[in-house]
Amino acid sequence: MNNNLNNESENGLGRHVIQYPDDISFCAGCSACEIVCGLVHEGVSSPSVKRIFLERGEKQSLQHAVLTCQHCDDHPCYEKCPKQDLAMCIDEKGIVYINQDECIGCGLCAKACKFEPSRINFNKKTEKTKRKAYKCDLCRTRENGPACIEYCQVKCIGLSDWPMPEKA
Amino acid sequence: MEKLYGYTGKIARINLTDKSVTEIPTSNYVPKYLGGRGVCNKIFWDEVGPEVGAFDPENKIIYMTGPTTATGIPTGGRSVMTGISPNNLPEQYSWSGIGGWFGAEVKFAGYDGFIIEGKAAEPTYLYIEDGDIQFLSAKNLWGKLVHDTQNKLEEIHGRDVNSIVIGPAGENLMRNASITTSNDNVAAKSGFGAVFGSKNLKAITAKGTGAVVPASAEKVLELRRRMANPLMDHKPLVVEPGHSIGPANFAEAKGGFKKAYVACSHGCNQHCNMLMLDMKSAFKDEKVNHVEKCVSVFAFGFEEDVPYGGPGDTFVTEKNHTLACKMIPREGGPPDESDEHFGEMFNFQRGDKLDFWKPDFDKGSVINDLCNEYGVDKWDVIVWLLPWLSMGKKEGVFDEIDLGMEIDVESEEFVKYLLDMIVYRKGYYGNLLAEGMARAIRTLGKEKFGDTIYQGRYSQVTGDRLDLPISLETAWGHCVHWQGRGFEASMEKPAWVATNLHQMNSTRDTQTIAHHHDYFKNYVELKDDPCRSPLTAQAVIMGENKAEIKDSVTCCDWQSPDLFWMDMEAQMFEAATGFKTTEAELNEAAERSKLLFRAIIIRNYGRDRNMEVNAIFPIMTYPDPWGQTVTWKEWNDLVDIYYHERGWDKETGWPTRAVYERFGLGFVADELEKIGKLPAN
Ligand code: SF4
Ligand code: SF4
Ligand code: SF4
Repeated sequence: MNNNLNNESENGLGRHVIQYPDDISFCAGCSACEIVCGLVHEGVSSPSVKRIFLERGEKQSLQHAVLTCQHCDDHPCYEKCPKQDLAMCIDEKGIVYINQDECIGCGLCAKACKFEPSRINFNKKTEKTKRKAYKCDLCRTRENGPACIEYCQVKCIGLSDWPMPEKA
Repeated sequence: MEKLYGYTGKIARINLTDKSVTEIPTSNYVPKYLGGRGVCNKIFWDEVGPEVGAFDPENKIIYMTGPTTATGIPTGGRSVMTGISPNNLPEQYSWSGIGGWFGAEVKFAGYDGFIIEGKAAEPTYLYIEDGDIQFLSAKNLWGKLVHDTQNKLEEIHGRDVNSIVIGPAGENLMRNASITTSNDNVAAKSGFGAVFGSKNLKAITAKGTGAVVPASAEKVLELRRRMANPLMDHKPLVVEPGHSIGPANFAEAKGGFKKAYVACSHGCNQHCNMLMLDMKSAFKDEKVNHVEKCVSVFAFGFEEDVPYGGPGDTFVTEKNHTLACKMIPREGGPPDESDEHFGEMFNFQRGDKLDFWKPDFDKGSVINDLCNEYGVDKWDVIVWLLPWLSMGKKEGVFDEIDLGMEIDVESEEFVKYLLDMIVYRKGYYGNLLAEGMARAIRTLGKEKFGDTIYQGRYSQVTGDRLDLPISLETAWGHCVHWQGRGFEASMEKPAWVATNLHQMNSTRDTQTIAHHHDYFKNYVELKDDPCRSPLTAQAVIMGENKAEIKDSVTCCDWQSPDLFWMDMEAQMFEAATGFKTTEAELNEAAERSKLLFRAIIIRNYGRDRNMEVNAIFPIMTYPDPWGQTVTWKEWNDLVDIYYHERGWDKETGWPTRAVYERFGLGFVADELEKIGKLPAN
């Protein structure tokens, strides 16, 4: 599913990053959102740590979907975490986030995510003892808020509870 | 080995003959040679001698990313490859840059680049995944068009792979065949697609899950903010009534067409590539999306050349210097009129009237699709082959030539027939034109088939008819680009003497990575006699060095240099690698790279003053839109000044030992001395 639902819909979703429709802004496909996500969290750029997923259009259509965690009200990922409230946590604002230090790398949350593809990045190719799950925490500790939104060159992503920008 | 930031630390040597892979530490070459083209130049100097031809197994494709690639430093997603170009005349060492996501994927897979050598026994493609390189059979890919090849590879290896591939043009050794990546970004100018073909190499596919670690993530983010300035705003998909550049050549799209702007490469902070949606395909009924940049617009209509904005297009002030990447998405805005030089800088003129072909939106789409899918350099098709046929036909030079279908560049059917004939080397003329324009015209007889004057070019500045040869050739088997005549003729002499000097010193079209830039205050001083001013030579040297830097660090010609932020590239390099680097130090590395390139062409191809002056001079004897040319004396005066500024010998054009040694290349001087290619002092 594409996440272009905002919180005005009755959808059981929490505050999350949404992609605006094409006639508001067309995703340039630059990957900056994915890259800065890794940079602000781990200081690295890697497909294995991004928490936002640019699903590139089929057959070189160059029409890309930006997929993110919806911070669901029922959050099955959280429910399945064996280290609930230590590794997978929910903060007072309803942000579902992972405390990396406590994550044991079982991958159950990634499997439990109700969206396809899963909005939790879990690289099975990583050495077993080093595996960790990575998911969007809405940059909860960052002063400027979500880095992906701040650095998107065409501002085609925003937060679900922001008013939808005017069409040009 | 100390930990390297920015780089992954490994270069793979991939031998197609014996299917072996060995790894070379990147630290053998960096930071001295930076990355990208700088490293390629060193490897080529060390490994490929003068006797090798473009299609010999001994030719190598050296592919390199830069330390900024995949770090999130804007424009760093670009990468570069070098080798002997089959499309250069004569065959010489050359290079080609490419955007897309492939470079970043290669780094995530664990490599900074690779050296491809030898020749596979049968059609092969390489599959690179997280430090593992496999040689796989390309039997089921051979013959496929570019997009079908990409799609098949995604079908086999998953949607998240990134590839570079060749189409039928490369397989059939068409000398201007390109290498294409998933967003239609190509390495085209050097014909390396044909080198892939000669090696039986159809594609390289990469997938990686590793990490690239910049020395300072904070600095990367700061660069992202500063380099995007003043812009980070919505850019919607729009419906346009048609397509053209400037007021002329307007090709109406029935019912309008959908247009958006997309980034060219991984991590770029701009969106200068145009995405044209639901376009007519040359091969199927289904509509296709095309990514297009500058030259493709002329496929849609070519009655008039590009318009001229005034000296301010090239010579800038602090108030008026717009990044080129803002130009195509038209985000530059109008020039700042509060500039005291505004009046002199901006003086809009229409381009030359040329009448090559009438606007036709669908035919334009088909031409671009043919080039995209066959994997052919668009420049050669759109500004050389088709204008040549258009002009030559009007001048009667093809009256005796039977291509099997009447020559008519206005006809979609003819263009399809023509490209099919050339790409598949059908018949005598298909085979001949697949050898590239420069070679084909020489075989046919250059005097008639190249130098015949077209009577249909009119300057819209003076109203005069101006001479133009039917073959828009410049030096080294390339077609004109931003050189004062032919395509993008609309620039004045102070600018075009500089771009021609760039081209003279190279082995191919340089205006893809070295669009000439200088300060307006210099223009005021040099404009009356640009060939006698050291300022012209100094600006060319700056531009040449910046080009080496851009292709090494890596960054993009459309965003750098910024004449009012000259250490931008040094900041990018330092943010990626952590090596403290000043603008002057980076410039030194660029000089080193340029010198290695110079030494290669001197050692391998006998480059000297005589050869290069004679290669570039003829095109400048045809008038620019103002009727201006250069004299032999003027040009040679400029070459004298340029060599002097470089510290090269005036008689031979060879750098001296002192110059090589100053840049840490004493070993190059030693080797050149042994073969008598070092000037006496
Ligand atoms: S990871 Fe999946 S299930 Fe969990 S909150 Fe996010 S979208 Fe919902
Ligand atoms: S909000 Fe923050 S954590 Fe979530 S995807 Fe964006 S950058 Fe990553
Ligand atoms: S940063 Fe914005 S434009 Fe770039 S890929 Fe992400 S959503 Fe698309």
